[in-house]
Amino acid sequence: MNIVENFDLFAPRLINKKELLSAGHRACQGCGEVLAVRLMCKALGENTVIASATGCMEIISSMYPTTAWEVPWIHVAFENAAAVASGVEAGLKALRRKGKIDDREIKVVGMAGDGGTMDIGLQALSGAMERGHNMLFVCFDNEAYMNTGIQRSSGTPMGASTTTAPAGKVSMGQKTWKKNVTEIMVAHNVPYVATACPSYPLDFINKVEKAKKVKGPAYIHCFSVCPTGWRSPSHLTIALGRLAVETGIFPLYEVENGKYKLSSEMPRKLKPITDYYKTQGRFRHLSEDEIKMIQSRVNKEHKKLLNKVDCLEAWD
Amino acid sequence: MNKVLMSGNNIIGEAAIRSGCRFYAGYPITPQNELTEYMAEHMREAPGGVFIQSESEIAAIHMIIGASATGARVMTSSSSPGISLKQEGISSMAACELPGVIVNIMRGGPGLGNIRPAQGDYFQATRGGGHGDYRTIVFGPATCQELADLTMSAYDLADKYRTPVMILADGMMGQMMEPVIFKKPKPRHYNENFILKGAGSGKSKFIRGLILDAIDMEEHNWKLERKYQVIKARETLHEEHRTEDAKLVIVAYGTAARIAKGAIKRLRDNGMQVGLFRPITLWPFPEAELRALSARVKKFLVFEMSTGQMLDDVRLALQGYADIEFHGRPGGVVPTPSELANVIARHYKETGK
Repeated sequence: MNIVENFDLFAPRLINKKELLSAGHRACQGCGEVLAVRLMCKALGENTVIASATGCMEIISSMYPTTAWEVPWIHVAFENAAAVASGVEAGLKALRRKGKIDDREIKVVGMAGDGGTMDIGLQALSGAMERGHNMLFVCFDNEAYMNTGIQRSSGTPMGASTTTAPAGKVSMGQKTWKKNVTEIMVAHNVPYVATACPSYPLDFINKVEKAKKVKGPAYIHCFSVCPTGWRSPSHLTIALGRLAVETGIFPLYEVENGKYKLSSEMPRKLKPITDYYKTQGRFRHLSEDEIKMIQSRVNKEHKKLLNKVDCLEAWD
Repeated sequence: MNKVLMSGNNIIGEAAIRSGCRFYAGYPITPQNELTEYMAEHMREAPGGVFIQSESEIAAIHMIIGASATGARVMTSSSSPGISLKQEGISSMAACELPGVIVNIMRGGPGLGNIRPAQGDYFQATRGGGHGDYRTIVFGPATCQELADLTMSAYDLADKYRTPVMILADGMMGQMMEPVIFKKPKPRHYNENFILKGAGSGKSKFIRGLILDAIDMEEHNWKLERKYQVIKARETLHEEHRTEDAKLVIVAYGTAARIAKGAIKRLRDNGMQVGLFRPITLWPFPEAELRALSARVKKFLVFEMSTGQMLDDVRLALQGYADIEFHGRPGGVVPTPSELANVIARHYKETGK
């Protein structure tokens, strides 16, 4: 019954046909991130203002004097996409109060990569979420600073080789676990938090649309495959995104008013993580023991998540 | 003394490690990434070396403050927008009198600008940059050999005067490769009393930059100022190139000085007597040396990859004793020696016979 009820919601024919991130930008072949941004723009529609932090998406989409953006867009420094988005939202509110702009819904969106969200931008993001601005923040997580040449970030997974955490005889590459920003956002008690991946476009669009309707702050953590930085074949982008979900490395779920819900795309039984690791050059050096250690952590995290899905009630 | 071919960013890293730098904190920003990456790979080979990629530029500068307080030789690096973020920390280092080396591989500005070489951070570097009455020693290297040598002397000066030292190079210096010889670094002399290492059975020490009493703060300011006067008197460096018979002298530093040398070669071939005055320390600026030159040269041309920042220092140094012209290309444009030669030739004709 549930499926029939949601049929309209999931029908691909209802997706906005208009491209708000136009073709001709300079993203790499097989970029998962730009696909995610395109889908996000489709879901958001024209009445949107986007504040973007420095990163791949800014560089590839707005090589001066050209631009791929068909929605109002402002680029700011690295650490403050959420702060600027807060300012845009407050400014629009003020103008609306004064009657200087018509009273239509304008969604303010902040977007940044994993570095701009998890590292340098976390302070601004936390502030914006705490103040409760009516905005959406989307983190496009490709698990390293790809724009500047694959430096590690706190979103880089354990064992990945990057230029500032190189793998070799002494080191296995990244030696820390990925920071779980989704849970940090849940801890801010914001009305809507979700994880998404463009390998599941309908799920992703659906989540952005949900976040758009929320009155108050919303956060979406989007897993974006980066063939350049992950040293993976560019035709495997969609497959890798799916594998990350199917192995439980990046589970898809949403937290609406404190209530956890796994997305329907999540499989009942997880695949072993070797399926996901073997196609990526950044994990090539890992030994069996190290993969085993990572596998046990993935299992533990997944169990933790399932417990939350089972136990936590919505708080409204 | 082996000659090796290395890129500018890597040379800074290698020279730092050889001079005993044991803590480096950095954050990705183009065009200085190669330095961070070099440190990530090579710091572990240095005994006791620690490399940290911080979560932001602010964290990086404050990490080196912490490490410097424990007596380590430290370095952080960034490019223009990142250096703006570090300013609070640099001001703190000056106030707390903590040594450290900060590398700025300049790029086009203002704002995020672009990632091409520019010299727009001259004011920020030489005027202190952060808040309060302070100065930082600033080196403007123009060759890869100088990058190595000045990095080593930056550590010596930082320890000697207990002050932050900045190496101000641009994207071109950072990315270009040249053969370089690493000299033997001088042994380190640093007073143990300035190191925080746990009180043990002795007295506890503290480091602070907050002095609420106005008179005490004034005294602290004058103390720093006296130190800066000593630095001014002792540590200025400059290079003069073919100024013996020059009728017009170009004043330029860093990459701009390299371009100027190319232009001078062309002009000399055409019989024009042009020379170059190149400040190597941008603060303290070699004022007296430049003024001495104005006894026999009556026309100077300041050439910068900015809209004219060192121009101010040249004006202050010359005090009206000579005519000053300016040619600048800001925003990441690297002009060719022939372009500069044309500009100079035009001004040279005006100098009279």
